[in-house]
Amino acid sequence: MEELGPIFRAMLRNKVKFGLIVVEIALTLAVVANCAAMILKARREISQPSGFDDENLLIVTARPLDSAMRKDESLADMLRRDREAVRATPGVHAMLETFFTPWGPNLTTTGVRPAESTMEQLTVQSYPTGEGLTETLGINLVEGREFSREDVDRDTQRAKVFNATQHEHDARGKPLTSFEQDVVISQAFAKHAFGDGPYVGRWLDDEAGTLFHVVGVVDRFYKPGLASDARSNEHVMFYADRDESYGRGFRALVRTEPGQAVLVARDLEERLARPGEPRQIKVERIPEVRTTHFGPQRLVTTLMGVVIALLVLVTALGIAGLTTFSVTERTRQIGTRRALGATTGDILRYFLAENWLLTTLGLVLGFGLAMGLNVIVVSVFAGAKLNVPLLVLSMILLWSVGLGSAIAPALRGARISPAVATRNI
Amino acid sequence: MLDYHLKLVGRSLRQRPGHALLVVAGIALGVAVATVFSAIRHSFAKDPIPSKSGVLYYVRMDSWDPAHPNFEPVPSQVTYMDAMGIMRSSIPVRQSVMTRAELNVIPEPGKAHPSREPTRLCFGDFFTMFDVPFEYGSGWDRKADEARDPVVVLSKDLNDRVFGGGNSVGKVLRIEDRDFRVVGVLARWSPSVLFYDLVSRRAPGTPEALFIPFNLVGPMQIQSSGSQANWKPAAGPGYEAEYLQGEKTWLQMWVELPTAAKVAEYKDFVDAYTMSQKKVGRFQRPLDNRVTPLLEWMVDRGAVPPETTAMMIVAILFLSVCALNLMGLLMAKFLARAPQIGVRRALGARRWDIFVLHLLECEVVALAGGAVGFVAAWLALFGVNNYVKSMYSRSDVFQMDWTMLLFAVVASLAAGLMAGLYPAYRVCRLSPSTYLKLQ
Repeated sequence: MEELGPIFRAMLRNKVKFGLIVVEIALTLAVVANCAAMILKARREISQPSGFDDENLLIVTARPLDSAMRKDESLADMLRRDREAVRATPGVHAMLETFFTPWGPNLTTTGVRPAESTMEQLTVQSYPTGEGLTETLGINLVEGREFSREDVDRDTQRAKVFNATQHEHDARGKPLTSFEQDVVISQAFAKHAFGDGPYVGRWLDDEAGTLFHVVGVVDRFYKPGLASDARSNEHVMFYADRDESYGRGFRALVRTEPGQAVLVARDLEERLARPGEPRQIKVERIPEVRTTHFGPQRLVTTLMGVVIALLVLVTALGIAGLTTFSVTERTRQIGTRRALGATTGDILRYFLAENWLLTTLGLVLGFGLAMGLNVIVVSVFAGAKLNVPLLVLSMILLWSVGLGSAIAPALRGARISPAVATRNI
Repeated sequence: MLDYHLKLVGRSLRQRPGHALLVVAGIALGVAVATVFSAIRHSFAKDPIPSKSGVLYYVRMDSWDPAHPNFEPVPSQVTYMDAMGIMRSSIPVRQSVMTRAELNVIPEPGKAHPSREPTRLCFGDFFTMFDVPFEYGSGWDRKADEARDPVVVLSKDLNDRVFGGGNSVGKVLRIEDRDFRVVGVLARWSPSVLFYDLVSRRAPGTPEALFIPFNLVGPMQIQSSGSQANWKPAAGPGYEAEYLQGEKTWLQMWVELPTAAKVAEYKDFVDAYTMSQKKVGRFQRPLDNRVTPLLEWMVDRGAVPPETTAMMIVAILFLSVCALNLMGLLMAKFLARAPQIGVRRALGARRWDIFVLHLLECEVVALAGGAVGFVAAWLALFGVNNYVKSMYSRSDVFQMDWTMLLFAVVASLAAGLMAGLYPAYRVCRLSPSTYLKLQ
């Protein structure tokens, strides 16, 4: 490549023309690499697993719309019939009555700490739940037991009695009477709260004076995309209780036999819609909930993808345009060189070398520019951090695009016949 | 002179239409991308209610736990007790405490199915305060607020569903266990940012389907479906203890204050109110009440997602790349015309004339590109809106307005300038003699 020297010196005499393309390539690299980082960040969020059998999970909601139906007696009867209707539906593998939704918005947090300790309050997601916890979510019990229907009915009754009585409070508003509740917690939270196990039989309490008795530990629970502190997404506490507050009615997670979610969903809607009962019946599939949940990320991904594609196209056109211009401008020189014995290969190599030099200069400049832009994007807009492999990948992409777009015009230049040298223009 | 220049520009463009088209397309692409991304950001950032934003204020009071810090400097909402306390003030021209809930609507059998609808509980002032447009009827008056009249304002959409459209003022609609009299039906109203509630929902929401008097929360025991925070356990069981008598912050408070003097007067009033509460043992933290102007409140709540700003910067860089590209193309074209310029100079044209002529040509193609780009951006926004429909259940979140048209014009002129300045300078510096000799 002994031509590089002369090529470079020739370029220096045409600083603006070539400088333009160098700056353009640098800018393109900066934008492409930063957009790619944003896309990757969004994609990582979209594709993180919940750890549950998302594909076969359904959320079933049946809300009474008539206030008469929300009276205790009729509500209990309605819930029993709904439970039985779901169980009797073919293709249903397991069911868990809870207000927890993988990927969904509803999050209830409680501040607790190990009883009799001076620890800071720990924040934990807490959900009222029934039987079928491990089977429905596809997780395992590592210690103790999970809840049965009897636990739920008994605890619901006890909570009702407790809430219905007027309690004495101390000066800080803490009830003097306390309430005990059995809970199943996640292993991650157990470790966080108590350190080493075994955990069954230990106690937690909250500000209001409720005592939580650990009766079971599940191996893993993960509700992704909620907290900025990823660890707390695994901290959960289930208690046995029917949350019968205002109009919520029946709500359950249903796990179907593999691949039957769509069929079962349709079937369930029909079975739950009972004549004479004005209710809102909704059956959602988790993959759909997930798609909605990640809407903004999907939008960013698509728009950024379009920008990258267009930008690369524009830059490729720019490089092709410049090379075409160079070739036209130097038609006589090329003719002369050809007449003096240069082969088509020599001419082709000249233009490609020139292009290679330009692209490389642009990419070196762009490396710094991309890093600089990323500092702004990260600090000001909490954007995605750029890493070197991604930047190198973007450089390889632009490098091949640069070379690719120069080939056609360079070939045209190489085909210029030596006769041009002697022709008058 | 401009006439003549423009004629020359037109001739120059006609000479190489392919080249001109390429240049216009390049700028159009850049302007389109920059405009789409700016429009997305603009939808979040623009003043949602220019006629009133200067006089609307959001009220917060620091009623939080003296022993534990809150995650915000001041709770973003107020308690029922405090809302009722400050609603007594006669300083604001208009004021409303409000919350969002989900209520069951039970239309006449056969007309429509019962459904759960997002509801705003507010005072009658809400509608005039926020310039809410009506198709039929109007909001309710203060007497209805005091008397807790079961009156309701419906969104156009809900009116279509339960009454089949038309003027339904005076008709009766059952909500939960009460009959409500319809007093108004809204016209189409979809502010791009749900500016009056920046707490319970993320920015581009949909206005509620029902609006009913706030004073019904107690009698109907309505629980908020919005965000709520509580640091002190309720003093007893039941709805009243939890929602009406407790320290739960769950209500939003807006006031309309026409002058700076009124703002100061109102701030003093709120401070005096909390001082009086301190005497009965509440508000144990240092005095810190906020009366925040609407636009400032939007910034506080992060109404503009930071990603959209990052995307706009990317788009402007994109436009710069397009302009650089254009610069290369124009330079080639202008320099190829050197002999002609030589003749022109020899015949007495000044350098300045040559410079202006060429810069003018750049701006003409840039503006043409800008026009095409704006139309393309407008079409692209339809696509984006369709895409976000699943997220915000509406397809008019992002819209073009005059500001965006202005942006497109300025962006294309700037790109034209960026692309044309140097090539025009280069050709006007050419020495005529060189090219005349060559002929």
